[in-house]
Amino acid sequence: MARRVRGAPVEPLAAGVVLLLAAALVGLPIARLVQTAAEAGAGAAVRTLSAPGIGTALRNTLVLAVVVTVVAVPAGAAMALCLRRADVPCRGFLRVAVLLPVLVPPFVLGYSWTQAYGRAGFTDAVLDIHWPGVLGPLGVVVVLVANAAPIAYLLTAVGLATRAEPDLERAARASGASSLASLRTVTLPLLRPALAAAGLLTFVATLESFAVPQVMGAPAGFTTITTRIYSDLALASEPAAFVEAVTLALGLVALAAFVLTPADLVLAPRLRATRTAQAAGGTTVGPTTWAGRLVAAGLAGYLVLTVALPLLALVAAALTRAVGLPPTPGNWSLDNFREVLNPTMRAALGHSLILSAAAATLLAGLGGLVAAIERRPGGRGIGTLITLTFALPGSTLAVALLIAYGRWIGGTLALILLAYLAKLWALAHRPLAGALDRLPPAELQAARASGAALAAAVRTVVLRPLAPALLGAWLLVFLTALHEVTMSSLLYGSRSQTLAVVVLNSQELGQVGSTAALAVILTVLLLPALPVWWLIRRLQVRHAAGVGSAVGSEPAGVR
Amino acid sequence: MTSKAKCSIVGLLLLGAAVSSGCGSNESSRQNPDQAAAPAAAMTLFTCANEKTEQALVANFTQSHPGSKIDVFRAPTGQLNARIAGDVRAGGLTADVIWACDPLTMSSYAGQGLINSWKPTNAGAIPTRYQTADYVGAHLLYVVAVVHKGVPPPSSWADLTKPEYEDAVALPSPGFAASALGLLGYFAATPGYGLDYYKALKANGAVQVNTPDEVLTGVASGTYKAGITLANSAYAAQKKGSPIEIAWPQPGAVAVYGPIAVTTKKDVSPISEDFVTYVSSREGQAAIAETGVYVTMEGVAGPPIPDGAPIVSPDWPALSADTSSLLQQYRAIYGG
Repeated sequence: MARRVRGAPVEPLAAGVVLLLAAALVGLPIARLVQTAAEAGAGAAVRTLSAPGIGTALRNTLVLAVVVTVVAVPAGAAMALCLRRADVPCRGFLRVAVLLPVLVPPFVLGYSWTQAYGRAGFTDAVLDIHWPGVLGPLGVVVVLVANAAPIAYLLTAVGLATRAEPDLERAARASGASSLASLRTVTLPLLRPALAAAGLLTFVATLESFAVPQVMGAPAGFTTITTRIYSDLALASEPAAFVEAVTLALGLVALAAFVLTPADLVLAPRLRATRTAQAAGGTTVGPTTWAGRLVAAGLAGYLVLTVALPLLALVAAALTRAVGLPPTPGNWSLDNFREVLNPTMRAALGHSLILSAAAATLLAGLGGLVAAIERRPGGRGIGTLITLTFALPGSTLAVALLIAYGRWIGGTLALILLAYLAKLWALAHRPLAGALDRLPPAELQAARASGAALAAAVRTVVLRPLAPALLGAWLLVFLTALHEVTMSSLLYGSRSQTLAVVVLNSQELGQVGSTAALAVILTVLLLPALPVWWLIRRLQVRHAAGVGSAVGSEPAGVR
Repeated sequence: MTSKAKCSIVGLLLLGAAVSSGCGSNESSRQNPDQAAAPAAAMTLFTCANEKTEQALVANFTQSHPGSKIDVFRAPTGQLNARIAGDVRAGGLTADVIWACDPLTMSSYAGQGLINSWKPTNAGAIPTRYQTADYVGAHLLYVVAVVHKGVPPPSSWADLTKPEYEDAVALPSPGFAASALGLLGYFAATPGYGLDYYKALKANGAVQVNTPDEVLTGVASGTYKAGITLANSAYAAQKKGSPIEIAWPQPGAVAVYGPIAVTTKKDVSPISEDFVTYVSSREGQAAIAETGVYVTMEGVAGPPIPDGAPIVSPDWPALSADTSSLLQQYRAIYGG
């Protein structure tokens, strides 16, 4: 695409920065891992990949990733579409509530679900019903789906906010299309990039998921490549086991590349379009209907099962004096909270908040740059490249960064920040890539040609239409970084402890109550993050309101 | 979009950028504490000993050695191994002292030349079964049986394969926990047990979880009736009120010692040997015991050990030669 704008050197500069960072954060670390695996020779790699059990672990990993993606993405998209209906009661609350699962730290998910639904768990005690399969492959799938669906929801909602064309939908309806037909022919085609982004993110995130398969899969002997990698690391005082872990991690990267490359190079460009940044109004208000109430009731039931009960089990564990005592008032105590609220925890929380905010802010920018560059003929594939480190299990990526940069910045917050940037770049890039259609290059050029300073042009032309996507990406990276355990617990130094260190310390002291207390504190602390999402919705509403009052005055709303 | 909303976004981004640039410059301008030329009395300890124990020992030592400073990297064995492997490939070990949680891990560090075969002079007071020529054991873990209150405790390990424990036993995985690997090594070499014992447990419906702590949590909350876990955590949970009973079954609770050693790091800190000497001294051992952990030195009171409780030790050198084949056989039974 031609650049004929005055003062355009910003663009090659941006491309240069992205390429340099991709080389430093993705290229070099992966190269060091390949080198580590290669030093052991091809024979060792073949032995590792053909060892007994690896085939099963690989099959489990693939089936898990496919099943979770196939279930979670439509579920998340359906939630976003349902919550677009004007006739759903308590819509504002539900829009925020469906995001609640992303606030619960993954390191307590296995425990909270087991306590909610397992033998001698919550439902067993109250209703005499328990779910024997909770500790097994099905339990792993359900928990991963329950936690991937909100992300698919977020991406779809961002897609709706930035791509939806309510006017087209209304036109379709007015011309006699059924609501299903208008969904199929207008809404879904526009959502394809967002759905593709959600699908690829969910797939790769499931490939590298570890905590849930580890805790809930082990009792059924269900192993994945990531649990196998961690087991190898536990034995990695032997160099052979360490090389085995690295080789398996690279296998996971290869697997991700195998799926991502065709999707990004062939499929993604076909889904893209360039459309006007002129936003069309979307949000309308209308009376609630029985169908809307049904939707609200369904979502509320879903939230009770996937969020409320596991969270309740967690709160009960945090408040109970000792593991195994019934959570009755006589056994309540704040000891678990007192135990974790120590100076180490406060310092660690500070470090984690700074690191997560820094990573989220830098990546919102870098993710946007990648999304812009990959639309150029020469930039295709950059999105795939930065997703490879997302597929790399945290433990292995951390070792790779330690090998690459440890001698200069080992033990500092800077190295942990690099790890977060490397790991989560894709998490910021994909939501933005799914929303970038709203940024016709011609408009930026027009703004610049009309004399707008670069900052003004970016603020008015770029940031405005992309605001929901930028905030969504920021939120995803921030929360994921804050909950991250494996990387920072491996990279920290005496002055750079993160929450991960506190989590592992409390887990190792064997007191699940204090780990639960920590998780409860974190969840409550993060509740204010959800209003950020509410802000996105507000932006959208005002945005719409500013466009045309005719849209807002339509009474029935868009179905 | 209103200007107010715009301000919020720009403000958020600016805040993040400010925070990030601040943290970046702080960190990069500060020399790496692990690698910079250290003051004479500073050292780095890598350990998987629990936080309370490690902190107590470090605090006592720095108090009695004014001017000394110990930087600690504490993590579970998996992370510890990965950090050490990364360090070694990034230009050399940064730890002056390693305090591990099992002899297998330490013996492979020694095999790679990471451990200086120096032992403190007071090591003589620690039983020979808890040390080698290269390193000495500082603390001990006992692998015992635990049952939910009201379930009869097993008197021998073999009891866990009986019908009264059907579909109710949880084992820690030897792929994740060195203590479980020690147990596997012990059973594999013990007549009447062997890998068949694990097959019999599996046939009786036993399941594996990852760590001994997960076993304890599961048994205390009633998910499982019985399990195999570590004595010190079990007594600590029982003291808090968890509904469990602890048994030391025949032929014995399996003892796993946590060795400590000075590394072969270049320019190793001069206080490294002093720290190891302190940890293996009577005061050091008493300080460990005070944090609720068993110690290797006899006559230092730690958590409870019932009178006449049987205790056995695996043949660690034989086990370390055999680890991968044992794990392979175990995985054929339990997966994982």
